[in-house]
Amino acid sequence: MTTQFDRIYHGLSPESGKFRVAASGMAWKAEETENVNAMSSTDIKWARWLRVARGFQLRVGLKDRRREAFDGFERDDHDKLAGLLKQHFAVTLETEDISFRGWNWGVTDFRGDELAFVVGNKTSFELPLQYVANSNIAGRTEVSLEFMAPSDSAGKKPSKGQPDEMVEIRFFVPGQSTRARGSDA
Amino acid sequence: GANGKEGKSWKKFQSYKGEAGLPREVETLRIFVDRKAQTVILPIHGFAVPFHINTIKNVSKNDEGDFTYLRVNFQTPGQLAGKKEDTPFEDPDATFIRSVTYRSTDGHRFDTLNRQITDLKKEVNKREQQKKELAD
Repeated sequence: MTTQFDRIYHGLSPESGKFRVAASGMAWKAEETENVNAMSSTDIKWARWLRVARGFQLRVGLKDRRREAFDGFERDDHDKLAGLLKQHFAVTLETEDISFRGWNWGVTDFRGDELAFVVGNKTSFELPLQYVANSNIAGRTEVSLEFMAPSDSAGKKPSKGQPDEMVEIRFFVPGQSTRARGSDA
Repeated sequence: GANGKEGKSWKKFQSYKGEAGLPREVETLRIFVDRKAQTVILPIHGFAVPFHINTIKNVSKNDEGDFTYLRVNFQTPGQLAGKKEDTPFEDPDATFIRSVTYRSTDGHRFDTLNRQITDLKKEVNKREQQKKELAD
């Protein structure tokens, strides 16, 4: 038996598709193109549930340490999905808490290929480091990361209604200078 | 008095209590100004990241060729000393986001966002100022 979820996005893709779960595995298929992403049941190691911009995200960890993310789930999909993952793959759907405090201070945490910004023990956002085009350290306390804009590589003229593209983020890291000054070690 | 002897204490604020507070507009993966929550929500690699107006210092916009850039500057410790250097921080030793820059081909929309954020900042500052005057 197959369960289907509609209007699901694969990662940051603009196109939505269908997400299917069955005993043999899970797969996402784009609505218009032929894009397919399939994960077989024996490869599925863990699953996480978190709030993102486009609804909720199902994040799946695979055997070869690959991760896949699917956005667009609804709050009410949680229980159904948790049940299916347990039943078919013996995997527990774990919830990752996200911060909505609106603060610009926290700690940075390297998680594999991602740099997470954590506010009060909750994830605020994650930056995939493979998209960093350039990084810079200014004055020992400021770190900037420049990102390749998706439309740069796509080579097509972006149209109206497109997502806003973050091209740079700067962090202020006071610890690096105060520690040197403040400790005798 | 206008020039207190000791630093002000940090006053707690927050944008939303939980995920259900996020406005529906964040789905578009575009910057959104939520006046009611006094918050600017920035799309960061698929996340909808709220920033309370209290964390925002100012915003600037500039045009370069086909693109318009919008830069949001945040309040952080260690910025040039001035009258405002008594701004209190909850944790001055934390890592701070100092700025985030976006680009778009839709200059008009970035114009509007620039104005909305600046207006919200002004509004909040004005209210803060009035409160201070009443307290004095």
